Amino acid sequence: MMIRLENVSKWYLNNGKRSEPVLYDLSLTIPDRQFACILGPSGCGKTTLLNLVAGFITPSRGHVFFDDKRIEGPGPERGVVFQDANLFPWLTVRKNVEFALRLRGVDHNTMRDTAGKYLDLVGMASYEDAFPHTLSGGMRQRTAISRVLALEPKALLMDEPFSSLDANAREHLQDELLKIWQHRQRTLIYITHSVEEAAYLADRVIVMGPSPQSIRRDMLVQSARPRKRSSEEMRNITATLRVALDSLPCCV
Amino acid sequence: MIRSVIRSFIPIFIFLVVWQLVAFMVSAFRGVPFPTPWATFMKLTALLGGQTLSDHTLYRHLADSIVRWLAGFVMAAIAGVVYGLFAGWWHPLESATYSIIHILQLIPGLAWIPVAILIFGIGETATVFMITMTAFPPVAINVLNGVKRLDTTFVRAAQMMGAGQMTMLFRVLLPGAMPSIISGLRIGLGSGWRVLVAAEMIVGAGTGLGYSIIQARWTLDYASAFACLCVICVIGLLIEHLVFNPLEKRTVERWSLQREE
Repeated sequence: MMIRLENVSKWYLNNGKRSEPVLYDLSLTIPDRQFACILGPSGCGKTTLLNLVAGFITPSRGHVFFDDKRIEGPGPERGVVFQDANLFPWLTVRKNVEFALRLRGVDHNTMRDTAGKYLDLVGMASYEDAFPHTLSGGMRQRTAISRVLALEPKALLMDEPFSSLDANAREHLQDELLKIWQHRQRTLIYITHSVEEAAYLADRVIVMGPSPQSIRRDMLVQSARPRKRSSEEMRNITATLRVALDSLPCCV
Repeated sequence: MIRSVIRSFIPIFIFLVVWQLVAFMVSAFRGVPFPTPWATFMKLTALLGGQTLSDHTLYRHLADSIVRWLAGFVMAAIAGVVYGLFAGWWHPLESATYSIIHILQLIPGLAWIPVAILIFGIGETATVFMITMTAFPPVAINVLNGVKRLDTTFVRAAQMMGAGQMTMLFRVLLPGAMPSIISGLRIGLGSGWRVLVAAEMIVGAGTGLGYSIIQARWTLDYASAFACLCVICVIGLLIEHLVFNPLEKRTVERWSLQREE
């Protein structure tokens, strides 16, 4: 069992006072190699859940385990792709990917080869000397994905990675992500607020709502890949998910 | 191109006109000779040609001033950047020391004179000490704030990739805070330069531009004093154009980080 949350609650402190819990008594297990989408409206704790697994924050109650070990902090075995790509603006595309490798103490040649390989994988090899601000949002996100893949993590955590891209770029990157994931399967948690995205990508969709009842629906998507976005089957899955989402009180 | 050159000369032209007017009015109404731009220029040429001023050439005064200034500034810059990085990263250090830095910033540079003389006696070290004490707080405060304002997701990304403390400080926080670091250094260098000239007038070690200005006053050689003032302005402009602008181009602009005002 890869990622396990046991009775996790999380609240924040505001001037010494506890906020309403963002997550309340949540238990969830995500097995090895599963592509799990967390679907839900804004403000119901999706990102908090991801940050807990990434180790950026610690639970107020309960425990989070990775490979049966308590998560103590962030680490390269759990690679994170952030919503806004979040490359270091002072490093070129290649140096951004090499940053991670250098920290692992690999020698110079291996570092160059590995960075080149992963840049090639996401189609960014010809932009290796560009600075992030000269790239489009999609290209930045590709680079961010290759940076994380270069870490060779056991699990990938993605927080609405394509939500700021236009529809065309988004669908394109979704397909590439699936290709990469199928090529070397590893546990993947993918946060989204898009029903279509969840239905198209995931093995399993977990619908989250506002606490205290964080998990509203937990559904396996058994449709075979490659899936067709416009197929009858996809439409049925999105319809089911939409019913689950519509029953939620609006978090706005 | 020609237009922009002309445009950059406009402020100089306005300045010279105002100067000429002031010189004219002071001479007319107070009856004392006030060096005109032309007289100052002639004096400056003579000094650059090797005429001595207070027993030394202008070059000697200039070189001594710059050496003192750089010695004080380099110490302040290193201490300020290191302090700012550590205090911005490690909150207990900030809360324990921030108000001290803030108070230091409120002390005018010249107020350090008695302290400097008591600790080091009259001479070089006292001047350098004053520059360091004046230039340190703006550098430290700017670096500290730059580190604190850095987007937390950069820190998280680095942690996720397995960055240790030293990597975090020098390969993430340092470049990330570069816009604030540059503006801190710029303020520090400027205030160091101002206090240097003032310090030489009082603590003076027998050379330096500030010393020359005050000596020229005693000998009623006002044109020389004005010539020294011009040299001081030129040095300031050169530093801006030869040090800070290229530094900014190579870092902040190239990375397209926001430049701070």
